[in-house]
Formats: sequence, C-alpha cells, structure tokens
Amino acid sequence: MVHLGQYIPRTSIIHGLDPRVKLAAAVVLSIVILKGDGTPCWVTAFLIVLVPASRLNLGHLRTAFRPMLFFLGLLFFLHLMFTPGTPIPPFPPWRVTITYEGLTTGAFVIWQFLLLILSASILTMTTSPGELISGIERVLRPLKAVGVPSHDLATMISMAMRFVPTLLDELDRIREAQTARGACFKNGPIFRRMKSTASLLMPLILSTVRRADALAIAMESRGYSRGARTYMRELRMGRKDYLAVLVMVCVIGMEVVGRYAL
Amino acid sequence: MIRVENLSYTYDGEETPVLREITTEIPQGIHLGVIGPNGCGKTTFVRHFNGLLPTPRGEVQVDGLSTKNPSDLYRIRQLVGMVFQNPDHQIVGMTVEEDVAFGPGNLRLPPKEIRQRVREALLQVGLEAYADKAPHSLSNGEKQLVCIAGVLAMKPRYLVLDEPTAYLDPSGRKMVLDVVKKLHVEGITIIHITHHMDEIADADRILVMDRGRIILSEKPEVVFSQVALLKEVGLDVPEVTELMWRLRSMGNPVRTDVLTMEEACRELNACLSRAKPQSSQRKTII
Repeated sequence: MVHLGQYIPRTSIIHGLDPRVKLAAAVVLSIVILKGDGTPCWVTAFLIVLVPASRLNLGHLRTAFRPMLFFLGLLFFLHLMFTPGTPIPPFPPWRVTITYEGLTTGAFVIWQFLLLILSASILTMTTSPGELISGIERVLRPLKAVGVPSHDLATMISMAMRFVPTLLDELDRIREAQTARGACFKNGPIFRRMKSTASLLMPLILSTVRRADALAIAMESRGYSRGARTYMRELRMGRKDYLAVLVMVCVIGMEVVGRYAL
Repeated sequence: MIRVENLSYTYDGEETPVLREITTEIPQGIHLGVIGPNGCGKTTFVRHFNGLLPTPRGEVQVDGLSTKNPSDLYRIRQLVGMVFQNPDHQIVGMTVEEDVAFGPGNLRLPPKEIRQRVREALLQVGLEAYADKAPHSLSNGEKQLVCIAGVLAMKPRYLVLDEPTAYLDPSGRKMVLDVVKKLHVEGITIIHITHHMDEIADADRILVMDRGRIILSEKPEVVFSQVALLKEVGLDVPEVTELMWRLRSMGNPVRTDVLTMEEACRELNACLSRAKPQSSQRKTII
C-alpha cells in the first residue's frame, strides 16, 4: 500500500539528486507558486515534466492528491460563493450569486494548491526518509554556531520515524488485550467508547516511557553522546546536482521574467 | 582482560546493595556464562563493563582502562559491545544498514570506513541481503542479529550479551546462538547472561551469582554437578544433567557431569553395558 507522499524507490535522474538540491527546489518553487500575482505557467510545465523524469506514474500522483480532494473542493466552493463581482447569468434567480471572479480565483487557488502538493510529492516520493533527514541535517549544520543541535535533531527525527510502525503494532496488541477484557471500540455509546480509548492510552504511554529508558541505555552503550558524529553517507554535490541547480535557476528566471517583464 | 575489583553497587534510593564486593578477572578470548536467579545483580554487574553505571565503590578496568575515567569511556564503549534482551529497544535506525552505522558514526569514523564496517558486520551475522530493509519487517531473531551487527561494526574485543534470547522463538534463538558461537571462534570474548542453561553448556567458565556475590566460578561440568547448590539458589541445571542426576539418586552408577545429549547417550550406553555385560542381546539406546 502506498501512502500520501510515501517514498517510491526507483532509479531516476531525480532520485539520484542530492536531497539538499531537491529540498531547496521544493522551498523555492513553493514561494514562487504562492506569490500569487501571476499564473505560474513555467513552474507548471516544469513540474509536469518532472513526473516522468522521476519515473512516477499517474497512480502515484492519485495517492498524493486523493486525501486532499475534499479540502480542495471546499476551497473552490467557498471562493465561488463569496467572491464579489459580475454575476454569471444562469444563476441569479437563486439566493446565492456566483461570479466570474469567483470562478477564476477559485480555479486559480486550486491550481496553486495542486502545484504545491505536486512539488512536495515529487520531493518525498523521490527522496528516502534517510536522505531527507541527512539533507535537513546538512542544511542546518551551519546553524550549530547559534545553538541548533543539527545532529541530535536528525537522530531524533529518524528515531521517531523508525518507531512509528513499532508503536502501531503495540497499539494493536494493547487493543486486542483490552478487547479480550471487555473494552469496546467499535460500537456502544460514545461515552463508553471514549473510556475504552483511554484504556489504550495509558498502557501505550507507560510502555513507551519504559522503551525510551531501555533505548537510552542501548544508545549510550553504543557510544552515543550529544554533539558531532559522522554518517555512512556524507552528501556531496556532483555535476548533475549543479546542473539541476542551473535548471532550477532558469525555470524560476523564466517565471519571474514572464510575470513582470512581459 | 576485564578486571573487577571490590565492586559494590547500590541503586539510588535503595538500601540493599545489588553488588557486594565483587572481585574477578575475565581473560580475553573466553566464553563466559553468567547465571543466577532474578534480581541477583547479573545485569547490574555486566553494565559496569562498559561504564553504563558509575563506580563509587570498587573499580572496573577494561584492558587497563578504568571506567572511572571519563576520557577512557569512549574507548571502553568501543572495546565492550553490549546486546540487550529486547531487540526492539535497541534498534535506532530506519534501515538495517543505518542502524549498524550508528555505532561507528558515534565513533566519528569517516563515511568510507563506516560503509566498509557495515558491510563486514552484516556479512558476519549473515544479514548482508537485508541492508535496506526496515527493522520492523524482520523477525525478532533477525532483529537481534542486527543489534549484534551494530555492535560488531565498532570492532569490540568483548561482547556482553544480556539474555539475548529472552524474546526469541526457538528458531530465532538458534540463529543468535550460532552467530555467537562463530564470533567466539573468531576470537571475540563472549560474556553471556542467560536463564537457559543449555546455552552455556559449552562455555569455558560459568559465574554463578546470588544476592550480589559470585558464589561459584568454574567450568560448566563442575558448576552443573553442584545440583544441590544450584537448586538452593533457585537455578536449574541442563535437562540432561538433571536426568543423570535423578538416575544417580535412584541408585544407578552414572556420571552426573554430563551436559550434552550426545554425552548422555554415550554414558547411558556405557552404563547399560556395564550393568549387563553377559547379556546376549545387548540393546543400545539411540
């Protein structure tokens, strides 16, 4: 099963890029997309080209967009209803007025959001969590001087992600144990169900605290201490990464020139 | 060599000491078993070996480095690797490979060296095909092997295993024990706490602990022949030894220092043929 924005292991040009380049690209693209005083045509074209370049298909994109559909629909609806302007002729008899302006701003906002989701999805679908974390860590490393513990942050994020499935397993086990003792989670009065849910929380918290304790000892025995450490893969910018930066600069440049100079 | 001298330890806020003036030496290259009833201080004892606990009274030295000395602690943690009961409480990486790289990363080794060590360590435990797998997709036995690989990547001289098979099913247990045996042959000193007596039947020496003291430090044959003493402190002997011991107490002239199934068969056959040398149809068992 593929989740929203989950990493899709492939070999592609985009997969092979330095995560820092991809992170920077996603951030810059988001700014350009949201700076909403013009239609982001170049960015749209660029992102559409990136999809086959990342060897992703429409199925992957569907998993990225589907959870957002309701939200996007609502957004469109609100813009349609509440934007003042010239009414669209067929609708005036009703109490609500739908305007041309509403239609265009609605469509524009949806377009912006689709682009944002697309760029974020391309980032997370082509970059493994490990790479992403080491990218963030490397970007934050210069901030160490002002007290940002980049190594510890990276360790924390990766451990949090490593324990998500473990905690879900544990939750399942606790739920079974509590069901066996008469708790009910599926039906019954809402108050009773809430109480049952509380009976999941306490054991889960307790076992997590106990695990954290054991984990701290195990990490210490493996020589972990706060501060500098090294990694199996140190990121290094190659020729293709610089090329990608160049392409990005071109796309953003075109976009800016297209919007303001023409 | 790990030297322990007059080591006593009391946990904060408790009255009774967990360890009472322990003095012992663990030479390099041996396979040492540590047994004792619950709460006898086994775990506390071995946690001192890589400085996980402070030593206000007594001293622990690993190859001449004292755990009292904070600047030696780094080196000691590299020399003494620890593997604990529950593999899920030890794995920190999102992939097998990343987890094995955690220790060498803490030692601040260069990336190339880390990759080399990760590859070697996974090869040593036979998980080279699992490098990119997520830990939660593995069986408990495999997870415990990942933990062992994570320690091996630091190139330790001593491997301390604190009931490494407690959470494993029989096949996982066998996987781990086979690897431990192999590592011992390769020259790593093994210090193995366990409740399963069969796991340390072929150890070089066994420490029996009770109420914070070492009450016996002998070869397995000697330790397991002290059935009465072991039972008194609440320990079992290997099942075959127990069998021989019961046969003996029923009046059969069998040896009781037998630890393995093969030995037991041989001894029983010998005993039977001694009993009826003139019988025409001598039966052998198994």
